[in-house]
Amino acid sequence: MDLPAGIRNFTYAQDMAIFRTRWQWVMLVVFILALFSAPLLLNNYWLGIANLIGISVIAATGLNILIGYCGQLSLGHAGFIAVGAYAYAIMVSRFEWPFLAAMVFAGVVAGLTGLLFGIPSVRVKGFYLAISTIAAHFIIIWVINQWSSLTGGYNGIGVPAANLFGVSFAGQKNQFYLIFVITVIVIFMAKNIARTRLGRAFVAVRDNDLAAEVMGINLFRYKLLAFFIGCFLAGIAGSLMANWIGYLNAENFTLNESILYIGMIIIGGLGTTIGPILGVVFIRLLQEGVNSISPLVEGWIPALPSGFTAGLGPMVFGLVIVLFLILEPRGLAHRWNLFKASYRLWPFSY
Amino acid sequence: MSELLQYVITGVTVGMVYSLIALSFVLIWKSSGVANLALGQMVLVFSWFTYGMLVQAGLPLWLGLGLVVLFSLGMGWLIERAALRPLIGQPILSLIAVTLGLAFFIEGLVSFIWPRSVAALPRIFPEDVIHIGTAVVSQEYLWAAGISLMLFAVLSFYFKYSRMGIAMRATADDQLAVQACGVPVTRIFSRSWMFAAVLAAVGGVLMASIGGITHGLVETGLKSFSVVILGGLNSFLGAILAGPIIGLAENVGGGYLTPLTWPGVKEVIPFIIIVIVMFVKPYGLFGEERIERI
Amino acid sequence: MGSTGKLKKLSLVLASLLILVTPLLVSGCGQAEASLKVGLSIPFTGPAAEKGRPMGDGVLDCIKYINEEMGGIEGIPIEAVWRDTQYDSARAANFVNEFMDKGCLFFTTCASKEMAASMEIANRNDFPGFTVFSSPVCIHPPEHIYAQMPDYGDSWAAFAKYYMENIWEGAGKPRMALHLLNNPTGSGASDAARALADELGIEIVATEEHAATTLSEIESLSRIKAANPDVLFISSTPQPTSIILKNARELGITPGVTVGCGHASFTQALIDLSGNAAEGVYGVFPTVNWGDDVEAMEKMTEYCLEYHPDDYGNMDYITCWAEGLVIAEILRLAVEHVGVDNIDQLTPQIVEEYGFKGLDNFDPGGLHGPVSYSAGDNRLAKAVRVFQVNGGEMVPQTGWVNAPAILYEDFDWFGQ
Repeated sequence: MDLPAGIRNFTYAQDMAIFRTRWQWVMLVVFILALFSAPLLLNNYWLGIANLIGISVIAATGLNILIGYCGQLSLGHAGFIAVGAYAYAIMVSRFEWPFLAAMVFAGVVAGLTGLLFGIPSVRVKGFYLAISTIAAHFIIIWVINQWSSLTGGYNGIGVPAANLFGVSFAGQKNQFYLIFVITVIVIFMAKNIARTRLGRAFVAVRDNDLAAEVMGINLFRYKLLAFFIGCFLAGIAGSLMANWIGYLNAENFTLNESILYIGMIIIGGLGTTIGPILGVVFIRLLQEGVNSISPLVEGWIPALPSGFTAGLGPMVFGLVIVLFLILEPRGLAHRWNLFKASYRLWPFSY
Repeated sequence: MSELLQYVITGVTVGMVYSLIALSFVLIWKSSGVANLALGQMVLVFSWFTYGMLVQAGLPLWLGLGLVVLFSLGMGWLIERAALRPLIGQPILSLIAVTLGLAFFIEGLVSFIWPRSVAALPRIFPEDVIHIGTAVVSQEYLWAAGISLMLFAVLSFYFKYSRMGIAMRATADDQLAVQACGVPVTRIFSRSWMFAAVLAAVGGVLMASIGGITHGLVETGLKSFSVVILGGLNSFLGAILAGPIIGLAENVGGGYLTPLTWPGVKEVIPFIIIVIVMFVKPYGLFGEERIERI
Repeated sequence: MGSTGKLKKLSLVLASLLILVTPLLVSGCGQAEASLKVGLSIPFTGPAAEKGRPMGDGVLDCIKYINEEMGGIEGIPIEAVWRDTQYDSARAANFVNEFMDKGCLFFTTCASKEMAASMEIANRNDFPGFTVFSSPVCIHPPEHIYAQMPDYGDSWAAFAKYYMENIWEGAGKPRMALHLLNNPTGSGASDAARALADELGIEIVATEEHAATTLSEIESLSRIKAANPDVLFISSTPQPTSIILKNARELGITPGVTVGCGHASFTQALIDLSGNAAEGVYGVFPTVNWGDDVEAMEKMTEYCLEYHPDDYGNMDYITCWAEGLVIAEILRLAVEHVGVDNIDQLTPQIVEEYGFKGLDNFDPGGLHGPVSYSAGDNRLAKAVRVFQVNGGEMVPQTGWVNAPAILYEDFDWFGQ
């Protein structure tokens, strides 16, 4: 990484460190303190938004490992989140498993499903793989709808509130702590994947998989591992989402959600750890912004066509994706790195 | 036994409608290697435009449809110019993502201009039903099948014999070589997107006259991806043949499996076919297997 | 670097703290005078916008009418805290949190999906609410959620009852086939049929499912034709229903077999899409039609034409104008209980106990059936009218027909 002037690395540990300077540690601690004090300041609605951001960050990090690091296109992420959510809901409501066990189980089930639908990645890539993941999404949703004895079918399934060591996670405040602790762990895990052998193997597969195979990287194993990890995280996010909403229905998991996640990681920056975070925050806040602005604008300009609010959200989102791809394909993470570099060099311009 | 005839006829005719949309996809893939994931939304917006011309503006049929064709040419040109031209040479994820972004944008645009979610087109084809043995088929499907075949023939001839068509195939094969030969590659992309938009418009009008205009047109666009995958991404013949195959699988398979398994099995058949094709013959029936070298 | 470096870092820390503090500034806003707050979740935009927008317009116009012309509830204005859910479950769930934060007395949603997403949070916090369009999972087992209109199972039950009493002339049990949309609209009808068919004396001989995106249902209708039904009930939305009606006519199933449609599809759009194939088809609908001579028609038409003329003719506007009237009645009953001077004592629990549960044969301007609460049944309005399409028009055949209550929670297959 870019370091401030005057800092040199003399040991391997220093070279590999995530937080290298004391100043970075201080900023980290301040940020974590501020983050975990948010429930004291925000009201329930914004806490709910924050919880949703946390859950999306987990899912987006998983997708980033799959697409950004390993280069395997997956357009069916919402389907894998659904698998995790339903697995969690079924374990908790029908079999009364404890929270942690159910959550890990949900992750494993989603990971295995991802593994199954990721098998074509060994033979095909690019668009072909994308289409097979879209097919995976529809098949998963269909199975959820039809297997009504297990999943409640079209009616859906209720999820009792999670309970850990006697603390009930029904309210937004408690959920905030739970979700963000898990999010921090997941991000740390993703960063570690990225900077160790596994991450390097993924990047090699992404950049040129034939060359990687020639160098001795077992493509089958690493591609499937990427699918497993990406979908495991989707399953964890799904179980947290099941707890957050309280009632699951297959209609919650649409193909548009999958595309939303793709948009998030592209806007955030593929193949970086901070990319998913920036992308998720940007998109969710954009959604909130569009939601709150359009009634106001409709109030000011009554002559607007009646489809204004209906069309504004998707149009803005689509436009943002296209503009980012044309103007800043490396995403917000790249902008963030440029910003860091520029203030380190200030007052010099380069 | 009579049901089998009914299933077969329905399957083949419905499949030809999927083929029409698939032809549009194959055209863009064949000329520029871009996967147009906004296809369903393009079909939607052209159907709504047809509604706008024929119902809201009340134009006569020939004028309305003519304007639809002009609009689709313009829209295809605009999409290529604004969203795809800047991304020439970018990795495939960017291209797919930009078509996804376009899909969202077009969907929003449709909600913006036509806030209704269901609309009916005026009758374009006669209503009577044709009897083939014990089976019935409505005339709209036969017209759709006929138009698909005609367009397939036109496209095949165009790509095989006309200069622009050969140039398009060359561009898909090797862009750099084509540029070295002096062929204006950007013009080729532009043309191919314009034609593909017209194909999508024709497909949209036919589907809308069968079933009305709803958001379901987008999902039918997704089903045509299964046609494209089965037939091979860069083969027109594959698209025309795979469409009826998928239609048959849906109707005959659905017809016989549904009483035995679950009531909704018919919807998931195209997607299961995609997965099976991926495992068995990833490049489709007539597709070209790309050979990669380091 | 020296001192400029330290200054830069300090400003950086201040900037980041400022950004983190902004939400606090955003979330605080002062209140004006006393008002009765009601939370409204409306799918104004998104996939359900075609229904959501007229529904939102209807309820907001009605509340505007009550505030401006009727002076609110005994002089106190109703404050409509409305949010656009975009037909998204996560949003709908989160808005319930917001409504509770903002001190709303109860909340409403338009769609059953929104209520399914919201009901856990509401039930956990004893926060009452009702949904305009419902499905059995929202109100069975009954807790703090109520349904304003009869649901898709009630449609089936009412039609089945009407069919048995008025159309069926043979001996023994009529054979009924069901064609269902692959979502709660369809499963609601099939659940009701499963619960009640034997009791009503109907034999279900075929059940078929279809997707909303279907282009042709010839294949499933061939199977239905082979089962030789006397009556076919379609529980779906207008577009797939129109495809089924057209295909049924092509296969020769109609005319001959009686066809009934659930209220999710029985609108003008169905007749436009189906053309001739809709002739003679029966349907149920829980509200009156535009132009019918009922008490609230005049004011509703006036407000509709003045503020939202695009919505004129839309049945969902009527449904939600009635929603506004029901909201007003619930608040009126609650205010009456605590007294006009003590409205600061109003809590959601009091509103539920005396407002919701106090509803007794309230007539929402004649726009739909009477609204009552009875113990164990959280449906507020339970009646529908049966129509038949004649000459391209929906002609009412009955007055208000009550759909029998179905105690789904008694069946062990429910919610499985």
